[in-house]
Amino acid sequence: MPLSAYLTLAAILFSIGLFGVITRRNTVGILLGVELMLNAVNINLVAFSRFHDTEVGMVFTLFAICITVAEVALGLALVILIFRSRKTAIADHVDWLKG
Amino acid sequence: MMNDPIALVLLAVLAPMAAFLLIAVVFPLRRAGRPAAMVSILAVLTSLVSAIRAWQLAGSVPEPIRAIWDWLPSEHGAFATVGVLIDPQSTLMLILVTLVATLVQIYSLEYLHTEPPAALGRYYAYQSLFVFSMMGVVIAPNLLQLFICWELVGVCSYLLIGFWYRKPEAARAALKAFWTTKAGDVGLLIGIVLIYRLAGTFDLLELRQIIESHGLDVTGLGLITFCLYLGAMGKSAQFPLHVWLPDAMEGPTPVSALIHAATMVTAGVYLLVRTDFLFAQTPDVLALVAWVGGITALMAAILACVQTDIKRVLAYSTVSQLGYMMTAIGAGFAGAGFLHLLTHGVFKALLFLGAGAVIHAVHSNEMKDMGGLFRKLPQVGIVFIIGTLSLAGVPLFAGFASKEEVLGATLAGGFMGPFLMLLTAAFLTAFYMFRVVFVVFFGPPKAGAGHGHAANHAANHAANHAANHADDHGDDHGKVHHSGGDPGFLMAGPLWTLALIALAIGGYFTLNHPESEFVLPGWLTPVAVLVALGGILLAFLTYERQAVSADALASAFGPIRRAALAKFWVDDLFEAMYRRLLLGLARVIGWTDRYIVDGVLNVISAWTLDGGDALRRIQTGRVGDYIFALAAGLLVLMFWMGGSF
Amino acid sequence: MNPEVLGFWILAATLIGSALGVVLTKNLFHSVLWLALSLVSTAGIFLLLDAEFLAAVQVLLYAGGVITVVVFAIVVTEKLVGETISHTSKRLAGGGIVAAGIVAMVASVISRADVAILRPEATAEATRSIGLLLLTKYLLPFELLAILLLAGLIAASYFARPED
Repeated sequence: MPLSAYLTLAAILFSIGLFGVITRRNTVGILLGVELMLNAVNINLVAFSRFHDTEVGMVFTLFAICITVAEVALGLALVILIFRSRKTAIADHVDWLKG
Repeated sequence: MMNDPIALVLLAVLAPMAAFLLIAVVFPLRRAGRPAAMVSILAVLTSLVSAIRAWQLAGSVPEPIRAIWDWLPSEHGAFATVGVLIDPQSTLMLILVTLVATLVQIYSLEYLHTEPPAALGRYYAYQSLFVFSMMGVVIAPNLLQLFICWELVGVCSYLLIGFWYRKPEAARAALKAFWTTKAGDVGLLIGIVLIYRLAGTFDLLELRQIIESHGLDVTGLGLITFCLYLGAMGKSAQFPLHVWLPDAMEGPTPVSALIHAATMVTAGVYLLVRTDFLFAQTPDVLALVAWVGGITALMAAILACVQTDIKRVLAYSTVSQLGYMMTAIGAGFAGAGFLHLLTHGVFKALLFLGAGAVIHAVHSNEMKDMGGLFRKLPQVGIVFIIGTLSLAGVPLFAGFASKEEVLGATLAGGFMGPFLMLLTAAFLTAFYMFRVVFVVFFGPPKAGAGHGHAANHAANHAANHAANHADDHGDDHGKVHHSGGDPGFLMAGPLWTLALIALAIGGYFTLNHPESEFVLPGWLTPVAVLVALGGILLAFLTYERQAVSADALASAFGPIRRAALAKFWVDDLFEAMYRRLLLGLARVIGWTDRYIVDGVLNVISAWTLDGGDALRRIQTGRVGDYIFALAAGLLVLMFWMGGSF
Repeated sequence: MNPEVLGFWILAATLIGSALGVVLTKNLFHSVLWLALSLVSTAGIFLLLDAEFLAAVQVLLYAGGVITVVVFAIVVTEKLVGETISHTSKRLAGGGIVAAGIVAMVASVISRADVAILRPEATAEATRSIGLLLLTKYLLPFELLAILLLAGLIAASYFARPED
């Protein structure tokens, strides 16, 4: 398959994830959407890395995966904290910074 | 130094300035009153002596003497200079100014003796400043210095007219004088700027040189001379800017004698005399000057006939005589106008000071409170009649020759209309002045005649005043009894001095006719004398003998009389212009400012606030909205960067 | 047909289908399961791209670790048993338009771009070179990553500590 196929696949995946982030009410649901977006980015990186005959992209992807893991852990810890203090896990209820 | 005209003139001009500074700065001196008066009188006396000597020296050299110092620098030499210009004209004017100023200041010592010392000090400070500024105008070598001193003269007149500032009429009169002359001064300033633009210099001698060597394009000169004339109109009370002079009588009488008879009002005439070479190039403007002068002379004479306040009569008389001077200048013979300026200064000051003595005795300005005062105030009566005869133009008295010169000049210039106006005014002048004499000094005494001043020592001094210049009147006898009778030495002295000068001038000119540039027609002198005598006769018949009824005379000229009582509605015209035009315009501008200018700002600020309120709603606080906005923005950005489907 | 092409289409369909499942399912737990499927499909794509090591890492970390953590978070913050949480949102239309727009834009850019068609020769050395790079050229980021993970670990355990 040509490179453009992989890139298009990644783009579709990215926008599905974006749609999820925008529309999900539950905070954890938003995080799942973010996961999808990051996944798409990783596919992009690996595809470019393979088609340009270099391993640097894969190293980059490795780092991205690790950082994503850390980020998810922390994000969920925050969700738990908010749930504990305000008894809600719905993102739209967290609007105390509104103007 | 007694042979250096420049040093003498500088001394003359700067001595009163030094007196003013001293009195103004050293508070104890001013608050003490009489010592400040002494300082001022000493200074102006010094000026008088220096001026006389300078005149003697100036008359002996053919060319004017000029001494100037650089003041404002510029690339091509000095932009503005200060200095003195000494020639027979300016030194003669200096003598008039300092002479009248000295006599007035001495006279004021007694006239204002009831003033508190602090006020007296203030008065003499103003007097010194005025003398300095008037002399500044007289010896100014360039138009810029002239203008600055001219404005200073205006300020001093405001200060002196409004001397009794607690009186509302006095304050208003001072303001009116200031504003009316200011209207003319705008013209003067414009004229000065224009002539600088045209000729590149302010200096009078240089301008004369340029004009006489035909180095100037004279097409723009008409506007310039008209603007200069506007300034003269204001200060010299020509129609219609004459309205301030009668009201200015609210000031103390010595002030009127100094400012509104001999010096400040003559500044306008003097200006035209100094710049006659400019006006000679614009005959149209000169014609205007002549006609306005004639109208002023006649109108003021009519107005003087219906006045009941003695000072108002004299004020309108001054306006009328100023019209005479201007007409002579307009006819092209500035010398005749200048001569009349000099003689008028002497006898009008005399008349004012005499009126002051009467007012001081009677404690009222109104002629209905006066009558039969010749018995009580014989000296005052004599000097007043001398002054009146001079003003009426009777031979052997001062005004005779100069009035004749003016009439002859008007004829020689070909201005028949103004000539007839002047002739009529001469008749009226004799009439209304002798009306004053007969009503005030003769006829039945009125109940309100108060007590006059002490027994006079003036008889002794009459012999001393035979000379042509003032002696030292500084010694104050200190004993002034108030037991009815002629005024004391300090007031009588100046009166007699002026009276004798008037007689001397009159006698001299009657016997040696002044040189004139034109030929007097033979019939002019008899006609003029007849006109004067006719006026005197009419006044005699009406007011002394009661042979002609004053009421019948009044009703004979009914409409004119009514118009005269309303001051020909000139004041009303100015007031209407102010109220309707100026205030109306101000209201319109105010409305525009409030609703349009401010309105625009208020609308913009209101929109800003409302916009801010609306935009605030974007901050919902919800992450989902923010991310949506982010994504939408990303899409827009992608489009903008050249993407398309 | 080329096995690679066939594999690609199957994996692509699975991936996109499970992604749609993640965002469209009402039940949160079901979303997580769909996510697990999509992560595994991604690992398959990596295999297609000859990135074996990354496929392994993907399965280990993502499908193993992340899913576990998310499940626990859901357990803590939501009652799963007997309750279906409504997840309708007001931004469906807007979000749909924006997402569709973005994908259209990117796809058009890709189609117009000059990208390679054929892949170069595959070597069996990919994993080896990754390891070499990690320990030589990219050693510093590698170590920093370790610190980052440590920091994240400490922070997460602090945040999620039991209340006293």
